[in-house]
Amino acid sequence: MMRVLVLAAILAVPAAMTRAADILPVFDAHLHYSHDAWAPVPPERAVQILRQAGLKRAMISSSDDEGTQKLHALAPDIVIPVLRPYRKRGDVSTWVRDETVLAYLAERLAKYRYAAIGEFHVYGADADLPVVRGMVQMAKQRKLFLHLHGDADAVERVLKQDPEARILWAHSGFDRPENVRAMLERHKNLWCDLAFRTDHAIGGKVDPAWRALFMAYPDRFMLGTDTFVPERWHYVVEHASWSRAWLEDMPREVAERIAYRNGESLFGDALTRE
Amino acid sequence: MRVAVALLAILLAPIPAVAELLDFSGAEWARIVRHGPWPLPFRADPSNRVSGDADAIALGRTLFFDTRLARDGRLSCATCHDPALGWSEQRARSEGRTTLTRNTPSLLDVRLRRWFGWDGAHDNLWATSLRPILDPREFASDPTAIADLLRGDGKLSACYDRAFGRDIAGVDAETLAIDAAKALAAFQETIDSARTPFDDFRDALDRGDRIAAARLPLAAQRGVRLFVGKGNCAFCHLGPAFTNGEFHSIGIPFFTAEGADGGRHAGIKTLQSSKLTLLGPWNDDPDLAPGTATRHVDPQHRNFGEFRVPGLRDVARTAPYMHDGSLASLRDVVKHYSDLDPDRLHNDGEAILVPLKLSESEIDDLVAFLESLSPTVRTSDASSGPRCN
Repeated sequence: MMRVLVLAAILAVPAAMTRAADILPVFDAHLHYSHDAWAPVPPERAVQILRQAGLKRAMISSSDDEGTQKLHALAPDIVIPVLRPYRKRGDVSTWVRDETVLAYLAERLAKYRYAAIGEFHVYGADADLPVVRGMVQMAKQRKLFLHLHGDADAVERVLKQDPEARILWAHSGFDRPENVRAMLERHKNLWCDLAFRTDHAIGGKVDPAWRALFMAYPDRFMLGTDTFVPERWHYVVEHASWSRAWLEDMPREVAERIAYRNGESLFGDALTRE
Repeated sequence: MRVAVALLAILLAPIPAVAELLDFSGAEWARIVRHGPWPLPFRADPSNRVSGDADAIALGRTLFFDTRLARDGRLSCATCHDPALGWSEQRARSEGRTTLTRNTPSLLDVRLRRWFGWDGAHDNLWATSLRPILDPREFASDPTAIADLLRGDGKLSACYDRAFGRDIAGVDAETLAIDAAKALAAFQETIDSARTPFDDFRDALDRGDRIAAARLPLAAQRGVRLFVGKGNCAFCHLGPAFTNGEFHSIGIPFFTAEGADGGRHAGIKTLQSSKLTLLGPWNDDPDLAPGTATRHVDPQHRNFGEFRVPGLRDVARTAPYMHDGSLASLRDVVKHYSDLDPDRLHNDGEAILVPLKLSESEIDDLVAFLESLSPTVRTSDASSGPRCN
């Protein structure tokens, strides 16, 4: 009997190792840990969730930035800080006209290192307002990405202000695949996250138009959960599993790029880069 | 001079209390009229072969009030679905063998739903009726115990034989459990809400009877104007039952002790893993109830934390409100929408929802309208019909 158990243990170990190795790592490019999340999902619990989800890296921006710093202090191996121009979540609709935002950004940028500025919300002509222009210049000086949640028009306007700006387009602009394709064709320094959208993969199957887009631009897409309310921290694990399921429907190499390689190559060494 | 005095006397005389009708526009009339007529005719559920059957309804009514369905004999369906409280209860969260995470939903007009439960985890009424009986947190029963109850009680057995047209002795436990659920469903299909002052108002508008329409108090009239207009409440609370039957996030927190209540997202996953759906072997008429929606529904990120839009008929009687019973009164509900926190909603999600910023009098008016969705006189309800004897 003992020999049977030992044999079973020997056989089980490589199998378990294989399973762990097979689980696709995930680079989650779109997470928030804002003030109203800190009590219901304490920092230790949030980090536990990130590890439980099998995240290789997590780009986190918060309103205010203290949330990001709390998580970065606990898990510097996973958390990549991104600086949001919001001090509370309610700033979403007012920040573009709030000139104190620039001083806040300057203060945080002097104090901490970041991979990007964002996620910020801006649409159309608002992208040319002085506060947004000032922020774009800050990103340019520090060679930081911009994580922009907005329409194609806003993306275009920012790229006119700084043609070298590198933009991670949140939610791929919630735009249709043909429009996303047109933007990617036009702008070599534009990348897209797929947060909070499911239209590209229904029932684990990748939509044909999106598949063609992923195949044409395999190095331009990333995953993201978007914890826009604190309860959604309890969706991070589910989201990673869901993402792995639809990525199974893509060629392995493309799946790995979207799952984590693109994020890793763009942001993996962002904090140590000179 | 005498004429002038007489005219002055007329002008200064107290104005008699005359019922008044607001100057509803044609568009408002049309939107209001869409909330009727009421009641809607009964249509048997094709997935349940005993739907509408008098013997099955009697069996279901008997079982609904029978605490022997629960393993410890302490609970019946009516414990939480109290007929006197609009077939719901006053507790914020249901108490089974433990405290649950959600408020007991009302069963009023349940036959009109497409999805059942706050999360729509079921696509038919019989499956959703079986769930609490088997749930270890609630009745904690099993098919064998249900079958033993039906077989061991002569009145229930006879009722079953009549309703299902066969001898209970030859029926296996699993089938009996599902049949019991179908009888419970047949009974619940009779739980209709009664006509209300709003229905009289709506019907009067529909036939152009301004005098009859004016009998609805002015506060309620102003409330219905807000409901179909500025409030845009009718966008989701539409039709005669005041619901689109679907699922939305309205900014109510959904944390639980263990994490978060996934709501519709979790419900769809439960639905997809269940054999007790319209796509399964227990559907009595797949041709008429093909389960097309069930076949195609798929969980989306937005579904996480969404809950079913409840109907509003007799809503004044079903406090507290929301999936977790977190709002105690109708006034609290209206104030929730008035002061809605847009940060709780995704920018590209529920774009229909914006803070209504209502005045105190507007809040009063909306509450008055919601209260007009309850009958002024209560007659006997579904609980008083025949039982197995």
